Amino acid sequence: MIIEALIAFTFVSAMAVLLAPDEWAGRLAFALSLVPFLGSLFLWARFDGSGNALTGGELAFETQIDWIDVGGYTIQWFVGLDGISLPLVVLTAFLVPLAIVSAWTPIDERQSQFYGLILFMEANLIGVFAALDFFAWFVFWEAVLLPMYFLIGVWGGPRRKYAAIKFFVYTNAASLVMFLGFMALVFSLPVETFGLPEVTQSIAAGELGSFYGIPAETIGLVSFVAMFAGFAVKVPMVPVHTWLPDAHVEAPTPASVLLAGVLLKMGTYALLRFNFTMLPEQASALAVPIAALAVISVIYGAMLALAQQDLKRIVAYSSVSSMGYVILGLIAFTVYGVGGATFQMVAHGLISGLMFMAVGVIYNATHTRMVTDMSGLADRMPVAVWILVAGAFAYMGLPLMAGFAGEFYVFVGSFGSPVANGLMPVFTALAMFGIVIVAGYLLFAMQRTLFGPFRLDTDYELGRAPRRETLPLAALLVAIIVLGIAPDLFFEMIREAVVPVVEGGVN
Amino acid sequence: MVDAFAYVPAIVVLPFVSFLVALAFGKYLPKGGAFGGIAATAGSFLLSLWVLATVAGGGQHTETLYTWVSTDGIAAGIGPQEIELTFGVLIDPLSALMLVIVTLIATLVHVFSLGYMNDEGERDLPRYYAGLGLFTASMLGFVVADNLLMAFMFFELVGLCSYLLIGFHFREPGPPSAAKKAFLVTRFGDYFFLIGVVAVFATFGTASFVGSESFPVLAEHALNGEFDAWTPFGLDVGTWFTAVGLLVLGGAIGKSAQFPLHTWLPDAMEGPTPVSALIHAATMVAAGVYLVARMYGFYVLTPTTMAIIAFVGGFTALFAATMGLVKEELKQVLAYSTISQYGYMMLALGAGGYVAAVFHLMTHAFFKALLFLGAGAVIIAMHHEENMWEMGGLKEKLPVTYWTFVAGSLALAGIFPFAGFWSKDEILYEALVHGLNEPLLLGAWAMGLLAVPVTAFYTFRMVFLTFHGEPRTDTARDPHPIRWNVKGPLTVLGVLAVVSGAVNMVPVQKVLGLEGIDFLHLWLDGHYGGFSELTSHHYADLGPYSSGYIAGGEIPTVLIGAGVSLALALGGLGLAWKLYNVPEPAEHTAALGGIKTVLYNNYYQDELQVRIAQVTAGVASVADTFDQGVIDGVVNGVSSVSLVSGDRIRRVQTGVVTHYAALLTLGVTGLILVLGVLGGWFL
Amino acid sequence: MVAPEYYLLLAAAVFCIGLFGVLTRRNALYFLMSVELMLNAANINFVAFSSYYGDLTGQVFALFVIALAAAEVAIGIGIILVLYRNFGVTDVTVPREMRW
Repeated sequence: MIIEALIAFTFVSAMAVLLAPDEWAGRLAFALSLVPFLGSLFLWARFDGSGNALTGGELAFETQIDWIDVGGYTIQWFVGLDGISLPLVVLTAFLVPLAIVSAWTPIDERQSQFYGLILFMEANLIGVFAALDFFAWFVFWEAVLLPMYFLIGVWGGPRRKYAAIKFFVYTNAASLVMFLGFMALVFSLPVETFGLPEVTQSIAAGELGSFYGIPAETIGLVSFVAMFAGFAVKVPMVPVHTWLPDAHVEAPTPASVLLAGVLLKMGTYALLRFNFTMLPEQASALAVPIAALAVISVIYGAMLALAQQDLKRIVAYSSVSSMGYVILGLIAFTVYGVGGATFQMVAHGLISGLMFMAVGVIYNATHTRMVTDMSGLADRMPVAVWILVAGAFAYMGLPLMAGFAGEFYVFVGSFGSPVANGLMPVFTALAMFGIVIVAGYLLFAMQRTLFGPFRLDTDYELGRAPRRETLPLAALLVAIIVLGIAPDLFFEMIREAVVPVVEGGVN
Repeated sequence: MVDAFAYVPAIVVLPFVSFLVALAFGKYLPKGGAFGGIAATAGSFLLSLWVLATVAGGGQHTETLYTWVSTDGIAAGIGPQEIELTFGVLIDPLSALMLVIVTLIATLVHVFSLGYMNDEGERDLPRYYAGLGLFTASMLGFVVADNLLMAFMFFELVGLCSYLLIGFHFREPGPPSAAKKAFLVTRFGDYFFLIGVVAVFATFGTASFVGSESFPVLAEHALNGEFDAWTPFGLDVGTWFTAVGLLVLGGAIGKSAQFPLHTWLPDAMEGPTPVSALIHAATMVAAGVYLVARMYGFYVLTPTTMAIIAFVGGFTALFAATMGLVKEELKQVLAYSTISQYGYMMLALGAGGYVAAVFHLMTHAFFKALLFLGAGAVIIAMHHEENMWEMGGLKEKLPVTYWTFVAGSLALAGIFPFAGFWSKDEILYEALVHGLNEPLLLGAWAMGLLAVPVTAFYTFRMVFLTFHGEPRTDTARDPHPIRWNVKGPLTVLGVLAVVSGAVNMVPVQKVLGLEGIDFLHLWLDGHYGGFSELTSHHYADLGPYSSGYIAGGEIPTVLIGAGVSLALALGGLGLAWKLYNVPEPAEHTAALGGIKTVLYNNYYQDELQVRIAQVTAGVASVADTFDQGVIDGVVNGVSSVSLVSGDRIRRVQTGVVTHYAALLTLGVTGLILVLGVLGGWFL
Repeated sequence: MVAPEYYLLLAAAVFCIGLFGVLTRRNALYFLMSVELMLNAANINFVAFSSYYGDLTGQVFALFVIALAAAEVAIGIGIILVLYRNFGVTDVTVPREMRW
């Protein structure tokens, strides 16, 4: 019941913050968001699950009760955590308080609504990662879009309406495709619930039948493609990535932090759960195009980042690039590959959160994000800048930081992977070139903005960043380094949870 | 008995602690945390000496200290292969020697920094000393690494530290750019290295350097057919090992500034001079050569790789030396000499001269650190003027600097009996005797030999221009005095540059037949202590080369080789003497004609790389246009189509409620009819 | 017991009369009455089948529909009043502002 308590508490907190006056809504939201964070730490400490939630592993903090009966199917309230979902829950609960603190400076109107929406989103995010029944999962999944739509559309930059509508329509249309794919799958199976474990195990038992005369193989393939397309938008993968830079550029800093830090992980998490765990055969059969898409995402995303002049766009495109690694790891179907991809989700959540927050700190002070507008900021705001430099190196995959661990596991796992007709070494080597390009654009951007003689083209006095802006950055940096030195904090449980996935893919 | 090996982690951790202390409390400490750094590196130095003594007493040590990713209970790996990722230490003669070199030079650089940074009133000193501490710690971690992954991780950290220190003066435009270039160019090499690491894991399931389950040993077994190694695309193991070796070599080429990834190193002179000394002598640049030496048991298995290493090394030695001929700035000359000297080490490694390479790594560390610190002393004296044409006649004003600098220069030029002579001579000897049957290797040897007079020439051109003749500027007439903290390190290194060749006087041993004075050979051969699979004779057994001699035997070959290289060096020195050891030297480089411009512009290597960067940026902006125009265009197109069609279709809505009702009725009627027909009512 | 066909025919007839009214009449009050007729046609069906199957659900539903019809008339008359106030007519084809 702890998960339900956390979700419920966060919903109630959202209400409370919504009703609070603007003067202390931010502080109240921060205090309330610490509760889910501590709760998630408690979940982590008391985690006793083993195996994968979908393939019949031991769940931690499980609740499974019948909820609604419709048309021969039972909808359940079914939540629980395994080694894949717990790290993401902890990531969410860790990022939200920091995002709230990072909102204290830039958000100066409708504050209670802003913080209320953030908490509302957090509750749904926890729900997405914990839910194991499709119905509940889908409700949470869609409900996450709503607060993000408002966060971008109300508090965003000049083109906020365009960005918000693009974000909402694009991802919502993708959800529809995914929904159809999943429903086709369920209706072709002799299951009586929408529970994800039942569906997975039924497919694994070879019970996928024909539906309206369409043979089972076609159903499996079409469902896989539909769900893949739906989730790929969320990840996002090239070529369905164009909503992301617009959304990031227009979104206020805290929304960007959560968008890059957690919302993108929903896509890869769902890919892992639905496509790669439920339909491993179809995934293996489509390994070559998927791996090719992953490589294109990495290289093309990095090249796009290289061409940008807006710091936020640079980080946004580099997210496309980093998420390509995740896809590469998932398709590898090795423990290091899939586990590394899961670890990379957490690592990238922390690192991209740090980068967006640091760019936000610079923006708060300079009111510009254009590389060409500034130079030599390290002289004026040393602490923030050096943390940004550290974050950039984490993004480049500097060893002993979380990003390296994730990327290295992915590379090790995918290089020797047997899928894709033995072509994985080539795909891996190509994707690895991303680490050179990422170093290129981040180093260029840093050289031009942070170093050299001081210059600022906007009329603002620049001093040291206030402590409340640098402390969240420092907290993230510490987390990144700790996870880089001791990845087994998460990686051990992740490995345990991905072993059944890998076995499904190998067979 | 207290075991020295128990303190090996402390060698790495001490400088790291000094990094943390300087970072956190540096601004409250006297001298910006310098003393902490000196204490830490000196402590590491003493511990390293102890470790060295223990190895000399017959010890060796390997231990896994920390499991990064464990496999207990959980099959973590690629398919059936389990892969555990660990950190550990490996102390054998090679790493023990390297520990001493690195800690010694780091200590001296710290002391020197008191004179170069503190006394010159630099700001941000805590950041400087923190960087030095982290740099030293990373390099030491790399040196003691017992597996390739750990080596790679510290290799990268070394790269980070070089970025931070080269870009130390970030308020000027030059240093950040040089730092970026250093990191990016070495990153390009590390890209191949990383593929190599991943490939080693995929192939062997381990990346350990030592033990019967280490990857060089497994590779040996795989070539014998005793071990079934994974290879991609059904390649045979020999080809695949060559590929893996070359991939890892990419990292070494980047860090050790070998052609074509050498361009970052001259730019890296933008960093403070003590940092240059550290980078060139002991830490970053040495890492590449050390890496090849560390996994030498793997390289000797593949002849193609060896030949490529030797050829790249020989070519770089000559190529960089020619560029050093025309430089006007003191540190620039030294930078090109570093590239050239590391080329020699690569040549030695490729030629099967494992001991010779390590020997040169050691002597070079001493004399290059000496030369850089000497250059630093000159720069202090000259109020940060680095152009040699603005100097002259400093000999009388800076006697300590002058004599130590000359000692270092003689060593660099390879003049008997200074340290560099012995090591360089041995490299050329190894390349010659092994190269008589290998044309590629012989070519590399020829280039190495050709670089000898060039080296001697540019070295003494530098010495004469700086110290001899008449002072050419007011600053040179009245230089800034230097203090003990500069003279001390210079003296220590000066002595070492003179005498350190004595540890391995192979020509003397061979000619006079004195057994046992080639201490370094015995040392690296495990005569005192060490692992049998990491000894030089084991490498020689595995290696592809056989020895051939000229003039009828070993001793004539030794004598002819040494004589020729010494004569060439003296010739270069003599030419420099004639041209530049005059009261008012002139630029004779004009005599080179068009070549001078080419050399001065470094064969347009930098322009080429800038061009590559520009092309990449061009491709990126095309990609951006494509993304905005085509991909996002499609997205926006879809939305405009729906908007436009919506605009048309909405005209159905007339606003007259009766029409709506009529449409509704028609719709329902239509539906009933369709369903009825489908349901079979009218059939 | 009367066969359900008769009820159904009656209901269909009432419904068609209502539909005809909706489609042809312009006066809003006729409109409301016609809608009322259609609702009651549905009610007849509900009650008929309820009695036919002996299941009370249909009758309960009919009660709901009656309540709904009452509410609808209340709101409908309100709308007509506003319509008259703004346009001076009760002709439903005159106000055309509610388009696009």
